[in-house]
Amino acid sequence: MTTGTTTASPGTTAARRPVPWRSIGWVTLRQRRGAMIGVSALLGVIAIYLVIMAIIQNNAYAAVTACHPAAAVKCQQLAQNFSSTYWGGHNSALQSGGAQTVSSLMFVVPVLLGVFVGAPLISRELDTGTFRFAWTQGAGRTRWALSTLVLPAMLLTAVTGAFTALLWWYFRPFLADGQVSEFLPLAFALLGVAFAAWTLFAYALAAFTGTLFRRTVPAMAVTLIVYIVLAIATATAIRPHYEAPVTVAGWNQGGGAGWVISSWVKAPNGQQLSQAAVNRLPIPASVQNSQSPDAFNNWLAGHGYTMWQSVQPDSRFWQFQLIEGGWLLVVSAILIGGAVWLIRRRGA
Amino acid sequence: MNVIESTALGKRYRRKWALRDCTLDIPGGHIVALVGPNGAGKTTLLTMAVGLTKPTEGGVTVLGGVPAGSPDALEGIAFVAQDAPLYRNLPVADMLRVARRLNRCWDQRRADDRLERLGIPPRQKVGELSGGQKAQLALTIALARRPGLLVLDEPLAALDPVARDDFMTSVVEAAREDDISVVLSSHVLAELERVATYLIVLARGQVQLAGSVKDLLASHGAGLEEIALRHLRAGVPTTSGTDAGR
Repeated sequence: MTTGTTTASPGTTAARRPVPWRSIGWVTLRQRRGAMIGVSALLGVIAIYLVIMAIIQNNAYAAVTACHPAAAVKCQQLAQNFSSTYWGGHNSALQSGGAQTVSSLMFVVPVLLGVFVGAPLISRELDTGTFRFAWTQGAGRTRWALSTLVLPAMLLTAVTGAFTALLWWYFRPFLADGQVSEFLPLAFALLGVAFAAWTLFAYALAAFTGTLFRRTVPAMAVTLIVYIVLAIATATAIRPHYEAPVTVAGWNQGGGAGWVISSWVKAPNGQQLSQAAVNRLPIPASVQNSQSPDAFNNWLAGHGYTMWQSVQPDSRFWQFQLIEGGWLLVVSAILIGGAVWLIRRRGA
Repeated sequence: MNVIESTALGKRYRRKWALRDCTLDIPGGHIVALVGPNGAGKTTLLTMAVGLTKPTEGGVTVLGGVPAGSPDALEGIAFVAQDAPLYRNLPVADMLRVARRLNRCWDQRRADDRLERLGIPPRQKVGELSGGQKAQLALTIALARRPGLLVLDEPLAALDPVARDDFMTSVVEAAREDDISVVLSSHVLAELERVATYLIVLARGQVQLAGSVKDLLASHGAGLEEIALRHLRAGVPTTSGTDAGR
């Protein structure tokens, strides 16, 4: 128990200094102790799993790269085994427990963290009436609100940002292998600044809706829905347009080419074919029923058709990360500002 | 000095006026009983005075002309809302630390002494305290801030008779020791009659009666409860006592 008598007498208000940020910050951290323990526990458990898997995967991939000559059947087999074992097969992704499944599950971690920390911040004060205590102390409502909302935001962003280093390590063999592009939505959301930025956004949205609704659970539900809709819309409809895609000749199906936004076929006369027109092409049954995925492409090429793709090259990865991180940061700042504004104008 | 001064003060929630055209001077140095039936506007008046709510019309100043809700007003007034809201999940000692760090002016020794006298263990969680202990903790925190004005909204509503008596004794002692002004609201005058030196009767969002207890007793020749009841029944503002509704 701290003892000792502090400080100024109430009469001397001539040079009134505000309560220092560090004091209010201590209050914020004390009140968020439970949330901090929760976040550490969740990320800690995930981190243990990721570290173990990253060691296993990096070792297995080292065996693949050490295999010479790379074109030998034995090495090809090894590479394919590595990919299907650790990334996950096409059909049994959920059972295989590969990195594909793990990164799909990781998709919900930012929103879980954000909702868990952000939603109760203000809503619990309003719900239980403790705001009548908090907002009538000498520190004042605005400083209290800024500390309560901004300090956890900074901590959460820093922790998830640091956590991304682990995710890079975990993903490294698959990215190096060329099986997986950094632009793959599963990977893009977990790498770079996206993981931290989406966590911050979920937090800010939960804090804002919590302030608006005055209830924790509705704020959690609304945040969850809005987050999932926006995350999917971003991956499918918004992210491809951060910059005009590059048009390249040929269909490159594997990794390494970048992120394929769309692909099409041009007739020998240079006219672009619609999907319906492609379906009407007189392709022989032997090609249509062929097991080889190249048979169709070879037939097209052999008959004067050309294949095109519009692509976001892998080299744009960081640019896209910063664009996405930037707008998420702006939206989060607006939401937190909105929450502070609501607190300032809210009555008892 | 008037600790609370309102001019044509009004507050509307959606379409209903909780308080209307309330002009009132509460002089300092008193233990003021703010009495009225439920829904009379007591809480509304107090929350505006402590800066939790902004008036719809009119204005309110505190501590001799300081705008309600301003930094100086927040620092000079300690407010304990109804049911003494505190952080239930914190131990008592940490609840004190929180309050200490949210205020520039804080008397830790006084808080420690009071808790020791009350027998409230510092390691106990606030949520595990009895109603009386929780009210006393809220009062302890309020007094450790060394306020010029202590505002208590329905402080006795949730307490049993013994806790009520202890609480009121604490308030009177503190008011005398620290020489601070106190404003308490209640819907039961009997609870405050023993300690109040100034009475304000509020009904239907308007002041019905205001004056020092001594003057009211002298001019009406009846018990305090009787006087208050008469004005609540009549429902017309009266200018008895010192400065009612002026």
